[in-house]
Amino acid sequence: MNTINKFKWFWAWQDEKEEAWLAEMARQGLHLESMPFPCVYQFRPGEPGDYVYRLDFQTLKDKDRDSYLQLFEDAGWEHVGDLGGWVYFRHIVNGSEIPDIYSDPKSKMGKYQRIMAILIVFLPIMIILVPQSRDLERYGSWHIIVEIISGILVLLFSFAIIQLFRRILSLKRLDESRL
Amino acid sequence: MAQKANNKLLPLTEATFYILLALVTPKHGYAVMQEAEEVSQGTVRLAPGTIYGALTALEGSKLITMVDTVGRRKIYQVTELGKQILREQIHRYQIMLENAVNNNELWAASTSGEGVSLS
Repeated sequence: MNTINKFKWFWAWQDEKEEAWLAEMARQGLHLESMPFPCVYQFRPGEPGDYVYRLDFQTLKDKDRDSYLQLFEDAGWEHVGDLGGWVYFRHIVNGSEIPDIYSDPKSKMGKYQRIMAILIVFLPIMIILVPQSRDLERYGSWHIIVEIISGILVLLFSFAIIQLFRRILSLKRLDESRL
Repeated sequence: MAQKANNKLLPLTEATFYILLALVTPKHGYAVMQEAEEVSQGTVRLAPGTIYGALTALEGSKLITMVDTVGRRKIYQVTELGKQILREQIHRYQIMLENAVNNNELWAASTSGEGVSLS
């Protein structure tokens, strides 16, 4: 079976942008088949169709995961694949109603909190790595490169956490706006 | 006394109420979604991610428990605590409804219409 690979990078806070892009691909007749590596998307060419893609984030034990996926399947969602903790789902769109995997802001907030929890665990590790890389000075000028890379990583992680935090806040506001 | 212990869990959200009500008889997640939509006359429609999170949280609070697995599906049912919470919530609804139905001025404001069917 012929597949088409596309390379595209999305940040952790760009999940909705990624969902929109995958739906656009489906409208062009390219249906997501798998994600062999980060930023590599494998598509199967077929009939153009109106699909909605949704990315969930879960780190579940195997047994919980089975029942989780079964529930989505029962509800009409096709499990396309996984990447890290990301779970990719697809649903055909019938009529004007766009199906979703979350029906209220509070439960959707949970998804971003789970991503944030992972990032927050890694952030201190990276911060510790930066000063320690100075020990590498004796290996010559390489330490500068190591420092720059770990510095960039810390910045990216911090930025990701801020972006996710903003998403959580806006969902929280939406949830609290109900009288 | 029992009321005090349950203060943190009440009031239930509409979604949680229908999930617990559906689980008075054992069901898997998708059956809960279907029943909630049906008995709420379409007013409560739950997406799978939301249901999954709710079932996990309710299990954590010991309001429901897993009683069986059929294939890959987990079957849940309300616990005694869950039933107790549900009854207390229904009692609150009864008070709310009595207050609203007996408020003549509220119904006088709309002389005709759907309001009448409530009584």
